[in-house]
Amino acid sequence: MTETTTGATRATTPTAIQMSGVTVEFADPLGGTKQVLKGIDLTVPAGQFIALVGKSGCGKTTLLNMVAALVRPTTGTVTVGGETPKAARRNLGFMLARDALLPWRTAQGNVEYGLELRGVPKQERRETARRWLEAVHLGGSERLWPWQLSQGMRQRVALARTWALDPDVLLMDEPFAALDVTTRVAVQEEFLRLWQSEQHKTVIFVTHDLGEAIALADRVVLLGEGRVLYDVEVGLERPRDLQTVAGEPRYQEIYNQLRSSI
Amino acid sequence: MTRELEEMTITAPDNATPVREPRRDPAETARRKLARRQTTKVRALQALLLVAWIGLWQVTADQEWLDPVLGKSPGQSWDYFVGAIESGELWTNTKATMAAVVVSWVLASLVGAVCGIALGLLPTVERVISPFLDAANAMPRIALAPMFIVAFGIGMTAKVALACTLVFFIVLSGARAGVRSTDSEWLRLSAVLGATKLQLFWKIMLPVATPAIFAGLRLGLIYALLGVVGSELISAKDGLGQLIASYSSLFQMEAVYAILILLAIVAVLLNQLMVTAERWLLRWQAPADV
Repeated sequence: MTETTTGATRATTPTAIQMSGVTVEFADPLGGTKQVLKGIDLTVPAGQFIALVGKSGCGKTTLLNMVAALVRPTTGTVTVGGETPKAARRNLGFMLARDALLPWRTAQGNVEYGLELRGVPKQERRETARRWLEAVHLGGSERLWPWQLSQGMRQRVALARTWALDPDVLLMDEPFAALDVTTRVAVQEEFLRLWQSEQHKTVIFVTHDLGEAIALADRVVLLGEGRVLYDVEVGLERPRDLQTVAGEPRYQEIYNQLRSSI
Repeated sequence: MTRELEEMTITAPDNATPVREPRRDPAETARRKLARRQTTKVRALQALLLVAWIGLWQVTADQEWLDPVLGKSPGQSWDYFVGAIESGELWTNTKATMAAVVVSWVLASLVGAVCGIALGLLPTVERVISPFLDAANAMPRIALAPMFIVAFGIGMTAKVALACTLVFFIVLSGARAGVRSTDSEWLRLSAVLGATKLQLFWKIMLPVATPAIFAGLRLGLIYALLGVVGSELISAKDGLGQLIASYSSLFQMEAVYAILILLAIVAVLLNQLMVTAERWLLRWQAPADV
């Protein structure tokens, strides 16, 4: 049932993420172990935008956390850009459902946070942060505190914070799930625009929203019970118009194919 | 971009801090105006209450409702106050008390905040020693004053020691509670961004704990005053507490009243100072009414 079209389209590009035979077990409260991921083999070429979808508890966030070196595989190997996930952290960007802005930092300060942790000098930090706030249409809001920003603005500050680090790989854990519908589309468009505006970064995008996955990603991987159930190349043309993409036949084809399993 | 997005990106003025909802500006202005009018009303009522209280005091003295030893008029207290200012008695003793307050407050707050954050980060240690901390904190501290006076004499050290035992625990428990309010998402994000332990302490734990620490600092400042004056009452070579003790033994109650009022004013001023500092340091917090 699995469509394996991976690699064929970008035969020449290097591999960003490689997982082979990965299982992850957690100790459950009753003393046994619970297998969250069962023998995952996944290759993500550099520059690909891959969406992981599935019911809650299917292991998609665990998979993401593993790439972020927050969870270690019980068996199998994971490499990110040829290195261990921990060593590759300096090339990672990370975005969460809740924006995780630090309330005691202004918008500008929040964008600078990651740069500060990495020891970027002050002047450079300032300029980079200002540039990225500008890029997400928040120029002029640099000095506002998080509570003064709307939900959408906050998530766009989080976008700027992620982009300011210029990561090779973007890990996104339901980044737009907490937004209302209108704001969500606006932020999604913002995100796609940033992603398309330069050399493509590799994106691993976790979501429970199948429609969002198809609309945004190059490839949709459906997880269930800790296994890969479907692996589909989306093949919709870019740039995409998020307002109308749901009307495309290819969108509906994938949607109908995967819907029953989600 | 969509209209929604444009709406959301209304730029803020350059000195952007007080802007809450850029979109609802006229309503905001009206709300502020109302708030200001209410503040004026509150201040007027407070002044009225103060005048009424002094009036009542005067009446109790005129009507001789109290024992003549206790029943002194505001005028008599005022006379003492003016005389004591001229003689320099009030100034030197206030200085002695305040020096002890500041020293004990700064010292105990620093140690208390560091210990509190450390305990928040080391849950096992916290579990082991928390019954001891609770026991120590439950002890009536004024009972320690004679011991400190025997140990350190009637100078500044004894006062400072007693006040420290009060302030330390207050700031400690504030910092402990503060660290616990850390959001796990901040830690997850920081871990992925490669934060070191030291960076976590300075950039996450300390700011997280600041509001709770500040609540402790504010309370601690008043308790420092309490501890110092308490110690002086028992025995000291100078200070406002010592003045109260000696005037009480001479039955000069008008002087005692004047000093008590002075202490109350000092406490209010200290509190106000802390509120101002707090407002600036915690300016990133949303106002309570949002």
